[in-house]
Amino acid sequence: MLKWLSKFCSPQQLYDAGVLGMNARNFHIISKHNQRRLYPLVDDKVQTKTLANNIGISTPKLIGKIEHQYEVKNILDIINQYTEFVIKPAQGSGGKGVLVISDYHDGIFTTASGRKISYAEVYQHISNILSGLYSLGGKYDTAIIEELVHFSDVFKEYSYQGVPDVRLIIYKGYPIMAMTRLPTKASGGRANLHQGAVGVGLNIQTGKALHGVLRNQPVTIQPDTGADLMQIQVPYWQEHLLIGALAYDMTGLGYLGADIVLDANKGPMMLELNARPGLAIQIANGFGLKTKIKEVDKYYPENLTANERVKFVLNYRHAK
Amino acid sequence: MLKKIASIRGGLTFLLILAIIYAIYGIYYKIEYWGFSFSPKQNTNLWSIEAHISFTPTNTPIKINLTTPRSNDAFKILEENIIAPDYKIKRNKTKSLLTLTAPAKNPEDKQNLYYKIMLFDNIDTRGKIKAPQPQAPQQPIFDNQKLAAAKQILDLAEKMDGDSVSQIILLLNQEPLAPAVQSYLPVKNTQQQTVEIISDLLALKQIPSRPARGFKLEESKKSLSPDLMLEAYIDGVWKLYDIRTGKKGLPDNFILFQRGGKSLIDVIGGEDSVIKFSVLKSVKSTMSLAGQRAKLMDSQGWFNYSIYNLPLSQQNTLKWLSIFPLGILLIVLMRNVVGIQTMGTFTPMLLSMALVKTGFWAGMGCFSIMILLGLIIRSLMNRFNLLLVPRISAVVIFVILIMQELTVLGYSLDLHIAQSAVFFPIIITAWIIERASITWEEEGPLNAGKEIFNSLLVAIIVYFVISSEYIRHIMFAFNELNIIILFIVMLLGTYTGYRLLELKRFSPIVKR
Ligand SMILES: Nc1ncnc2c1ncn2[C@@H]1O[C@H](COP(=O)(O)OP(=O)(O)O)[C@@H](O)[C@H]1O
Ligand SMILES: [Mg+2]
Repeated sequence: MLKWLSKFCSPQQLYDAGVLGMNARNFHIISKHNQRRLYPLVDDKVQTKTLANNIGISTPKLIGKIEHQYEVKNILDIINQYTEFVIKPAQGSGGKGVLVISDYHDGIFTTASGRKISYAEVYQHISNILSGLYSLGGKYDTAIIEELVHFSDVFKEYSYQGVPDVRLIIYKGYPIMAMTRLPTKASGGRANLHQGAVGVGLNIQTGKALHGVLRNQPVTIQPDTGADLMQIQVPYWQEHLLIGALAYDMTGLGYLGADIVLDANKGPMMLELNARPGLAIQIANGFGLKTKIKEVDKYYPENLTANERVKFVLNYRHAK
Repeated sequence: MLKKIASIRGGLTFLLILAIIYAIYGIYYKIEYWGFSFSPKQNTNLWSIEAHISFTPTNTPIKINLTTPRSNDAFKILEENIIAPDYKIKRNKTKSLLTLTAPAKNPEDKQNLYYKIMLFDNIDTRGKIKAPQPQAPQQPIFDNQKLAAAKQILDLAEKMDGDSVSQIILLLNQEPLAPAVQSYLPVKNTQQQTVEIISDLLALKQIPSRPARGFKLEESKKSLSPDLMLEAYIDGVWKLYDIRTGKKGLPDNFILFQRGGKSLIDVIGGEDSVIKFSVLKSVKSTMSLAGQRAKLMDSQGWFNYSIYNLPLSQQNTLKWLSIFPLGILLIVLMRNVVGIQTMGTFTPMLLSMALVKTGFWAGMGCFSIMILLGLIIRSLMNRFNLLLVPRISAVVIFVILIMQELTVLGYSLDLHIAQSAVFFPIIITAWIIERASITWEEEGPLNAGKEIFNSLLVAIIVYFVISSEYIRHIMFAFNELNIIILFIVMLLGTYTGYRLLELKRFSPIVKR
């Protein structure tokens, strides 16, 4: 009992560390900076993709989409010349309903984890997506089929299957916090922390590892590969930040999360945006978001372009 | 921003305070005027007293005077009924005297008249009612010799125990009687006479007194004659005395019927008149008498528009509903202050309501069986690759089938557990199964178990609050408390502090 209690800290300690709690996030940050009418821009991945491409953010190419049940049988035509692709719900969240097909030959689909599934199962999966099984509130959804991202070798030793990604928190257009999420065996190759992926906080100015966290506990090595997480240095860091800064221009959301993957050939690509990004990133970074948010409110200029904002972040020195 | 929150909070706090003040007043009002209480088991004794008057008419005009009790603070009249066909009924101004006159043509055969009254007594106010100072007692007309004897008795009485009234009563009932008393009393005295003698003696001491009639209640006895007692005005209050023992106060199981006055019933123009009383006691819950109380207290207007004036079946529905806000408050606390995530916001609420109906262990057992069977069937169904809507519908049908089977099984095996199946909300149960099985597939059995556990935990907490009969009664009887809850819930909507579980979740940040 005492041991269990000792896992707690006092509210004052959290406050001093500038930690943003769920209630404060919803009440002070999201309801103030994110207008509800803007949510569909990020909740619908098809819209996000279109907007992103217009503003010059690269995303995995859309192979096709299926909106109605009668179109499901067209899936084989849609993926016709592809041997690898991803099927996912346009309005999914938390990695639910994402089907990564790493190989498709002679009617046999192989998932990222190596499981072989039949056409019937793929058909069923798409039907499930359409009927709203994976979307919020169970409303009808669209299935999107997009190109598979070939993740860059830099992350190879840090993740077990799947695609590691970089999550940026962007406040008023400034990237203020970053972390990379590394799939593990336990997370089934998915990069969602609550499913058991490792989160590693990144220095926002350099893209270098700060701290690691696995299921809310500090870690320093990748549990499956044993790689030293503290050696992580995300390449093309400035490009990552630019995607984040542009995401603000494209959506107008004052507080958002951007998920970026690094493709071996095409560089950083935006996978999705989130208007209510989770708070676990604070644990991976070892400090609170509130500190950063206050800093931006106080010292960061308004009305800069995306590029200028990225430069500002890279050159910012803490005001003492 | 901070200013805005402060003003929202300020406004809500202000409204909350208003709600609290309103609730306090409402509670006071209901207790004071409607007789509500915080305890659900509060009962009030209800007496029905019947006077049966029978007589044979003579040739003179018939007139019957009946002294009737009036509502006062000590007891309230619920119903009054006179069964005297063809008789003319008249009341005097204070309504305490009822006069029945026979129709112009005198009846010939034996007359049977009934007077019925139903009253409940207000135990709380017994002996506490301040009464206005009555007139100074009329002095008895004594000759000198009698006055001297009376004075001697009063002197003797001083040596007895108790207050001056008890002293006199004790002296007059002493065994054996003191010689002075023996010569003072008539050889054979009736109760009526005893009361008169005591009253006269008290009048000499300037203490006002009056006879009081009532009934000693013994269930077995059907016919009773009223007992006489004496009331004396002392310290601003009418106090009741037993004229045999001098004991002060209303005896147990005694109902006062009439105060003052000469006799209960006079029959003029009849002979062989017999008056029989019968008394019946019944128990009613205090809540159900609230309307009557309100009527007597002149606060009926408000009562008529309250839920307590509705038919009982509807009251029961509302009673069920009025516990919801408290459950909702608990769920808001669990989610926003403690930080437990549940399946669906109000699923735990519905589960706990089912538990109330089934009883705790029976419900938990039954629910576990249903979820377990449901999950097994659901995982078997995976192979059929059904679409979502048909699949969830199939789960619903399976849940219904499981419920039916459990109920039948429960009936034939006389197992209470299995029979409680029908109380669980079908759709909710089906959704829990569906969600749990998806979580199971996507995030492993551990997470699925955790989701169910969290929802169940909150449901159990809510259950223990709403299953308390006390709390249910209070939330219904004093439903203004729900307005307080409303504003507390709204205030919680502005709570931006850390959730309890976040203190654990984020502790690695500060403990590194
Ligand atoms: N095009 C893709 N190529 C490879 N993996 C992908 C692709 N799209 C999604 N994924 C995998 O699925 C996960 C969840 O996808 P995402 O688009 O972020 O959906 P969600 O909104 O459910 O989080 C990603 O973190 C990644 O691991
Ligand atoms: Mg994602």
